[in-house]
Amino acid sequence: MGDPHSATFASEPLPPVGIGDRVRTWWVIIRTALAERMAYRGDFALGTLMRFLPIITQIFLWGAIFDAVQTADQGGADSSLRIGGYNFPEMVAYFLLTMVARAFSSMPGLATGIANQVRQGEIKKYLIQPIDLVGFLLLTRIAHKLAYYTVAIGPFALVFFLCRGYFTDGLPPAHVLIAFVGSLVMGFLIGFFLEAAIGMISFWTLEINSLLLIFMLFSFFLSGHMFPLTLLPDSIGWLVNLLPLKYLAFFPAAIFLRKIPDEELAGELILEAAWLAFFIIACRWMYARGVRRYSGYGG
Amino acid sequence: MPIIEVRELTKSYRVYRKREGLRASMRGLFRREYTEVEAVRGINLRVEAGEFVAFLGPNGAGKTTTLKLLSGVINPSGGTATVMGFVPWERRNEYRRRFALVMGQKNQLWWDLPAQESYRLHQQIYGIPEDHFRRTLDELTDLLEVTPLLGQPVRELSLGERMKMELIAALLHSPEVLFLDEPTIGLDVIAQHTIQRFLRQYQERRQTTILLTSHYMKDVAALCQRVVIVAGGLVQYDGSLAGIVDQFSGKKIVTLQFAAGNRPEDLARLGTILETQWPRVKIGIARAEVPRVLATTLRDYAIEDVSVEDPPLEDVIADLFHQVS
Amino acid sequence: MGAELLIPNRSQADDSRRLTGTLAASRAAEKTPAGSWAAETRRYLRVFLTFARNSLIRDMTFRADFLFHCISSVAWTLMNVGFYLLVFRFTMMIGPDTGWGRDEFFLFLATVWFINSLVQAFFIPNANEFSELIRTGGLDFALLKPIDTQFLISFRRVEWSSLSNFAVGLLIAGISLHGLATRAESPVYLTPLTLSLYLFFVGCGVAIMYSLMISLAATSVWLGRNQSLYDFWFYITNFSRYPMEIYNTPWGRPLLGLFTFVIPVLVVVNVPARILARPLNPRADWEWQLAVWAVIATGLCLIASRWVFRQSLKSYRSASS
Repeated sequence: MGDPHSATFASEPLPPVGIGDRVRTWWVIIRTALAERMAYRGDFALGTLMRFLPIITQIFLWGAIFDAVQTADQGGADSSLRIGGYNFPEMVAYFLLTMVARAFSSMPGLATGIANQVRQGEIKKYLIQPIDLVGFLLLTRIAHKLAYYTVAIGPFALVFFLCRGYFTDGLPPAHVLIAFVGSLVMGFLIGFFLEAAIGMISFWTLEINSLLLIFMLFSFFLSGHMFPLTLLPDSIGWLVNLLPLKYLAFFPAAIFLRKIPDEELAGELILEAAWLAFFIIACRWMYARGVRRYSGYGG
Repeated sequence: MPIIEVRELTKSYRVYRKREGLRASMRGLFRREYTEVEAVRGINLRVEAGEFVAFLGPNGAGKTTTLKLLSGVINPSGGTATVMGFVPWERRNEYRRRFALVMGQKNQLWWDLPAQESYRLHQQIYGIPEDHFRRTLDELTDLLEVTPLLGQPVRELSLGERMKMELIAALLHSPEVLFLDEPTIGLDVIAQHTIQRFLRQYQERRQTTILLTSHYMKDVAALCQRVVIVAGGLVQYDGSLAGIVDQFSGKKIVTLQFAAGNRPEDLARLGTILETQWPRVKIGIARAEVPRVLATTLRDYAIEDVSVEDPPLEDVIADLFHQVS
Repeated sequence: MGAELLIPNRSQADDSRRLTGTLAASRAAEKTPAGSWAAETRRYLRVFLTFARNSLIRDMTFRADFLFHCISSVAWTLMNVGFYLLVFRFTMMIGPDTGWGRDEFFLFLATVWFINSLVQAFFIPNANEFSELIRTGGLDFALLKPIDTQFLISFRRVEWSSLSNFAVGLLIAGISLHGLATRAESPVYLTPLTLSLYLFFVGCGVAIMYSLMISLAATSVWLGRNQSLYDFWFYITNFSRYPMEIYNTPWGRPLLGLFTFVIPVLVVVNVPARILARPLNPRADWEWQLAVWAVIATGLCLIASRWVFRQSLKSYRSASS
């Protein structure tokens, strides 16, 4: 990482690290992550497939709910019934799409990893060497995600192929697809900086596990992973809609299913970008403050 | 009738070779490749009640495996064994009430709890009557001097203290046969000494039959009348400690101290020179040759002092292990 | 420590007398028969109580962890309550004509939490530890004890904090039962008979879940520690969390058959919950048949798990250190 001589000749200013060097470093990180994933790809693909199992029960549950409402209404025609703005096929498609969104936005082990590094003093490494902690973590995360997608794309493709009947409207038009991809990428970044910021709290208190559990609890229910957020009654719905958690699951799925009117799409994406900027700044700021506090200790 | 009788006991393991990757592991589900490892290849042994026997052998010789077979923890691949008339691997409760196994490398006490809570549990499991339990516990903690530590969580104890607590746990139900696997491993000299002394006293008074494996020759020399050397899964020697030297070392070590200024050059003709520290020289000489060589030496050189010794036990045993493996 | 070296000088006669005393006592102890059935039951019960007590002592030394675990698991449960309350804003029933209205369904959920909290408190920590014992060779000690090994392994630990969800279950069951008994149209009352049948079948459900888990844990003898197996357990039992009628669709029927007859996780909650909540009034014949099957399935599962457990012990290799 970086220049091996930097520690020895720290008194002389070194030439800035060239972009070529940096790309080479990234490439090494990405290759290592890929190799790691590939070694256990069998286990891993199977694990990914199994992760769809809970969705099956969700689909059956919603099937029973739609059936019950239709039977009770008598008059309701087959697929016109909507709950929270979603008819049954859309509901199924919604759950499948949130799986995709979560594949981008979930960051297993990120906050606890930072907390462990702070606790065990490994964080010093980043203060001495010319690497930036946040940048390094982001790169490794990207590498891991890329490796994950190369393996997980198989199971995902299989499940989406089997369930293609639920996507009644087929593929959305190009501008929606672009917005969808954009929201996925931003979802990834928001997920990253949000959880990294939580990890930074460990500069102030070492016990962040409880905090993290509470965050996971809220993110599980209020990101839309469990149900479309439009189901919420207005009294809570407006508040949840203001929270950035929806970008982790609900928002990309809603874009794909065209639940966000075209004229609002650009505005919503700008809002998401603003949230992203906020979390980047928050994370950076906390890191800077945290490091200052940490060195103040003489840790 | 011997209390432990072992005939042609064998144990081999199959070690699977696990392959990486989906296709390989799928194939592995149906046709597995494995290699056979023979840990014990035909052990014969008879131990009388009240004996204190040491098992010696290099790592991987099959000592621990033999103890585990005799405790019924693993099943043998062949051969027979009875301990107090029971077949160990049938794991009858009547048998398990009457023996104990202590392993220096594993602990059975609850890590986060004081040892006395684990002892309570043992009392319930073995169905030890309260008065007997109290008396035994008091005596054992007293002898090992750990009474003040009973209420401390085990994780806060030192390694030596923990081992003492493990020993107490194993002895609470007054076993008639005791298997000790490396009970002093990793302990400092003082703790080793305390445990040796305790075991000696305990065994003398109660005539418990004890089988012990250890890497420390000190343990063996201090405790056991009888030594069984196991190597390569077979019994290589069974007898007294002193007998090992007689049987496996054909050499004596002769130390010559020469008169001042005397430095003969032709000593190599006497035997193998082991160490030269003028005026003292150590020479290894075949046992049968000793009288003749000594006579020559005393005649030809000016000698101030002579001593003839057996080679150190550790060296003999190390040589022996080396030869077998 | 230095003092220890001096001990051999202490009066050996003293040591000798005391040890001989113990010897006599131990011989006397052997005479007392431990064989009678009642005595054995009492011994097993006492061992279990000691396990439970030791676990509680341990939990109390890490009080903050304990409290936090209680709070977070209750929070998860309450979030779930919120989700299902949300669902019942849109529908009166789960599945047409199934009878799973709001009160009935919440009684079903309370049953899910009863069974889950019992399994989590008594068995999940032990199954986890069992795999760990196989991996590290710590199972040796369990095999040495003069007590049934499966009993010893299955009850070593009690995770008391998991019972907090049991309390939430009680609360929700109470509210639902009150709702069922006070509604105007065909009220459902709690009777001693339904209550005792309910308790019996909750016991059966716990036994089925236990059998599944201990069998999966035992496979680590052959497969090594395998995280996907635990995920597998979680995902499979996930199917038991809803009324079985929801799988009664052309797509769902194979699953319904599989999880009723092959891996009977569907009878775990469904049978006791139906007895108490009475979604169908009058009861249908198939409900009784299902209850009888639940009893048979419990027996079969227990036997199968015992068999798997024994096989795993035979293959146990006792890793050294």
